[in-house]
Amino acid sequence: MRIAHAIAAVSLVALPALAVAASDTGTAPAERAGEAQFRERCGGCHLADGFGTRVLERRVPDGQAELERRAGLTSQYITLAVRRGIGSMPAIREAELPDEELTEIAAYLGANK
Amino acid sequence: MRELSAVQVERALAAFAGVVGTANVYSDAIGRAGYRDAMAPVDPATYEPRGAVAPASVEEVQAIVRLAGEHGLPLWPISRGKNFGYGGAAPRILGVVMLDLVRMNRILEVDVEQGYVLLEPGVGFDDLYHHLVDNKIPLWMSAPAHTWGSVVGNALERGVGYTPYGEHASKVCGLEVVTADGSILRTGMGAMPGSKTWQLFPYGFGPAWDGAFMQSNFGIVTKMGLWLMPEPENTVELRMALPNVEDLPAAIDALRPLKLDGTVAANPSFGNVIRGLASRGPRSQYYDGEGPMPPDVLERARKEAGIGHWNFSVRLFGDPRVNAINAERVRSAFAGKVPVEFTESQWNRGNPLRGSGSPTPSLGALGVVDWLGGAGAHLTFSPVSAFSGAEAWKQYTTVRGMFEDAGFDYYGGFTAGQRYLNHITMIILDRNDEGMRERANTLFSNLIRVAAENGWGEYRTHTLWYDEVAQTYGYNDGALRRWNEAVKDAVDPKGIIAPGKMGIWPRVDREGKA
Repeated sequence: MRIAHAIAAVSLVALPALAVAASDTGTAPAERAGEAQFRERCGGCHLADGFGTRVLERRVPDGQAELERRAGLTSQYITLAVRRGIGSMPAIREAELPDEELTEIAAYLGANK
Repeated sequence: MRELSAVQVERALAAFAGVVGTANVYSDAIGRAGYRDAMAPVDPATYEPRGAVAPASVEEVQAIVRLAGEHGLPLWPISRGKNFGYGGAAPRILGVVMLDLVRMNRILEVDVEQGYVLLEPGVGFDDLYHHLVDNKIPLWMSAPAHTWGSVVGNALERGVGYTPYGEHASKVCGLEVVTADGSILRTGMGAMPGSKTWQLFPYGFGPAWDGAFMQSNFGIVTKMGLWLMPEPENTVELRMALPNVEDLPAAIDALRPLKLDGTVAANPSFGNVIRGLASRGPRSQYYDGEGPMPPDVLERARKEAGIGHWNFSVRLFGDPRVNAINAERVRSAFAGKVPVEFTESQWNRGNPLRGSGSPTPSLGALGVVDWLGGAGAHLTFSPVSAFSGAEAWKQYTTVRGMFEDAGFDYYGGFTAGQRYLNHITMIILDRNDEGMRERANTLFSNLIRVAAENGWGEYRTHTLWYDEVAQTYGYNDGALRRWNEAVKDAVDPKGIIAPGKMGIWPRVDREGKA
């Protein structure tokens, strides 16, 4: 049995997260897209139990380590941290995270004032 | 060494943009910074590329390679660029343009009956995992400690995982390669038009070349066949925490016959106490002083964490009746040789995968770089040891002593192959501490030298030390180096592909260096 010819792996992975986001209501579509992108592309490190969250717990005030709960993030800061890397976080390249997706993520996190 | 002018590079990048579009060519400061070594033990700008190009198809790779040849511009191919501790995405030298294959991320074929996949280089372990699980495909991948990287890139670098298919390079079956003249080569049975066994029979007819494209710069791999393990019915995990440092040799000698006769097909990894502690939190929660942690502090921390000086698990995969027999063989082999017994657990098909021995997506292993705080990084020194308790002990005590003399905690472990041990150690450092960086660099060179004096060679190394390690493989006045150079000059006469990779320099750069 041969299955799954020529499937873009990244889009396959993204589907469940988008489905979850689409079920939300009360937020703007762009913000929902940013949330889905964040969870898909950054969640491995920056959700509750991620390595990035653990590292940040040692550096930021209580309750601020999860980026989705962080106050005062700006989209410019997010963009710079992602493209340049920060601390022990490697840079994420445009080829792996296109500018349009990063813009959505940065807007989503930057909206959590 | 070649050094193209800015104008020459711009011309080449413009030509690349004609193939992939300007959106997929990167040459500004931010674009270049993304290819820096994220864990650089020196200024990462000293081995940053001139730019990057990211093709989406093999045809685009071919076109770029041809153009690179015309412009005399060397390319540095990467799959996903997550080779952390070994240089990450970064090239060996300034002056190259990255050939970033991350957009070539298709899983081209999964054959459940025959147990293989055919992948492009941009497919990550996470992608493959989700593809298999989401589509309920009863095949398991093997993966290294973190799953961010490329399946293809990891296998080509001879990375290791922890299932019976954990020697990844040995599970590669059939490559598609773009050669330096921009043509396509298929290895093994793939050389036969219409072959039905490209991903089944690894050798083909005549010389087998898959291995020649691993850790090399002879071509650019654009497709790779990889055998996957059928999902087992049952797994049994036997975990052990050895309470004494000196328990290591006996445990290794107890495991060896089980690996040789196939009782244990997976690759147990004996991780030391610092490896266990660093996965739990920063060093500052135990110790704030300079230098390596004192023995009494380390012992207190170990007991507090409830771990051993060496921690490992033997995992068995397959039929539960066979696993039960083999588990008894494992228990018997260790009984009386070490002062503790195994803690055991089982997994059965249908239960949640976590804890089964099937690798699930995780970046948790990267957290150890925060051991010292600051801008955490690690530099990985990976000598191979004979599968012998005495030899591993000698290697461990030698390497640990050198780590501690240089002011570092020894972080390491021995991962068991069938007849060897990969001794994977990490110098964990704060990149913002210049003095620490210098100590780490000096230590790394000393480790290479002392290892070679003892007959221990590295299986893989950081980009910056390719030449030093390659020189230790110098039998018969560097016969292997000269052979590699002869092949390089024949298949890539312009020196376009990854000059200096694994210490293999094309003639144009050798003459420039002389």
